[in-house]
Amino acid sequence: MTTPTTSRPTGTTPTEALAVDVRALGRTFGTGDAATTVISDLDLAVPAGQFVALLGASGCGKSTLLRVLAGLDAGVTGDVTVARNRAVAFQAPRLLPWKKVWRNVVLGVPGATRETALAALREVRLEHRADAWPTTLSGGEAQRASLARALVRQPDLLLLDEPFGALDALTRLTAQELVRELWHAHRPAVVLVTHDVDEALLLADRVLVMAHGRIEHDVAVTGDREHGSAGYVEQRRRLLGWLGVHDGEGAA
Amino acid sequence: MTVTARHPAPASAPVPAAATAVGAAATAEARGLVVEQLSGSTDRRRRIRVPRSVARLSGVVVVLAVWQLAAVTGRLPRTFLGSPVDVARAAGHLIADGELPAAIGASLQRVGVGLVLGLAAGIVLALVSGLSRIGEDLVDAPVQMLRTVPFAGLVPLLIIWLGVGETPKIVLIALGVTFPVYINLSAGIRQVDPGLVEAGRTLGLSRLGLVRHVVAGAALPQLLVGVRIALGVSWLALVFAEQISATSGIGYLMTSAQELLQTDTIVVCLVVYALLGLLADLVVRVLERVLLPWRRSFTPDDVQGGTR
Repeated sequence: MTTPTTSRPTGTTPTEALAVDVRALGRTFGTGDAATTVISDLDLAVPAGQFVALLGASGCGKSTLLRVLAGLDAGVTGDVTVARNRAVAFQAPRLLPWKKVWRNVVLGVPGATRETALAALREVRLEHRADAWPTTLSGGEAQRASLARALVRQPDLLLLDEPFGALDALTRLTAQELVRELWHAHRPAVVLVTHDVDEALLLADRVLVMAHGRIEHDVAVTGDREHGSAGYVEQRRRLLGWLGVHDGEGAA
Repeated sequence: MTVTARHPAPASAPVPAAATAVGAAATAEARGLVVEQLSGSTDRRRRIRVPRSVARLSGVVVVLAVWQLAAVTGRLPRTFLGSPVDVARAAGHLIADGELPAAIGASLQRVGVGLVLGLAAGIVLALVSGLSRIGEDLVDAPVQMLRTVPFAGLVPLLIIWLGVGETPKIVLIALGVTFPVYINLSAGIRQVDPGLVEAGRTLGLSRLGLVRHVVAGAALPQLLVGVRIALGVSWLALVFAEQISATSGIGYLMTSAQELLQTDTIVVCLVVYALLGLLADLVVRVLERVLLPWRRSFTPDDVQGGTR
């Protein structure tokens, strides 16, 4: 019922390959009186190669949805079909401290060599730290190693769970730049969970706003992404409004 | 309206460049600001430096000196406790006639075999209990119950079951070793960061791969803690085991010395026990260095800091 496979559900238009196809998804934690419904009757289709940002207030279910897409949550109802070749970068880098960086990168990749790891590390500009222990990396370096680990699998679907949330402002800018660059180079479908409107507008083709366990708003990012431009300001104001921040400019 | 400065301006407005530092310090003091020099040349009094290792030995030297003095002045009869010199002489004799090396060899063999068996049992039980729900239900409760029995109290039963040969001695040591290894390793397995297990799953690791790459790495430090405790326990178990009518080993040497009131030989044996225990600790430290190289990178001083 919910096992992610690459088979297409009946009824999709065969011309458009979907990296994510979710229908009538529901997720409830607990049973009886204590039951809390986090996601209910949610539909989502993400075409191959699309960059989607998933916005929402804390507790709206966006991280739960990402876990479902990652195949980490089995207790769901509805149909979930996702690209089999997918990779996840979590908010914490989750590197194994007892394996050197390059071994972390190729962990679980059959037949991968040190060269494979070095190539991926080069892409995130971390080749020089290949033989370091993860505990000696800075926050930004660890997050880049985690990106390299996702990239090396050449995913069709890249799931990013607030990967820049724990980084300082400057490091975050560099990391965002890097993600955009990598997406242009490899073109996986991306689902980025974030609570940062600017980040969503900077990186994504399409922004989803989640509330009350479903996707309330679904908009394409249009026009230029220049920070001060009229189009940008208007889109930002609209997204913040949907997130419940109504005085526009001042709030971030 | 006049603007008042927040800080009182220096009395002489233009400060000459050469006197800037002095002037600044002077105004700071005038304001009642107390400063202290944290680095740079200070005229602290020079002290004669005694290396810490030498200083730490002074207490031991005092104890030995008092002990020797008490023996020489006749306050400490030899049948009660031999003097340090007597002990050293006894050690020399025991080593020269090969009695001590043979005894150490026999004891080491017992500890070695007991340790290997105990380690194997502890590790297997911890894996069974840590890696499967059924295993935990089956293994954990009985082991936790048995753990509370002081293993030395099993000696009478072991003699009834296994006689007075080598077997009960080795079994006693193995039993003493099994529990700390089990407790620590199973706790280590249970404390694996679920985030890392999840990451491992998204990386496509199989169940076996998760155990090999994630669980093993996470539980190894805790296993080594168990091994360290087990080594300590194994010497303790050896002392008890060698009270079971031994015909060889350090314990045998002690019991025969006891019959002849050779207190110096008994002290030699105690010192040997202590030295072997110290050696065992050293072995574990080396093991930790070799098996946990990734920990060195962020805990270089912890070992020293922790023992102070």
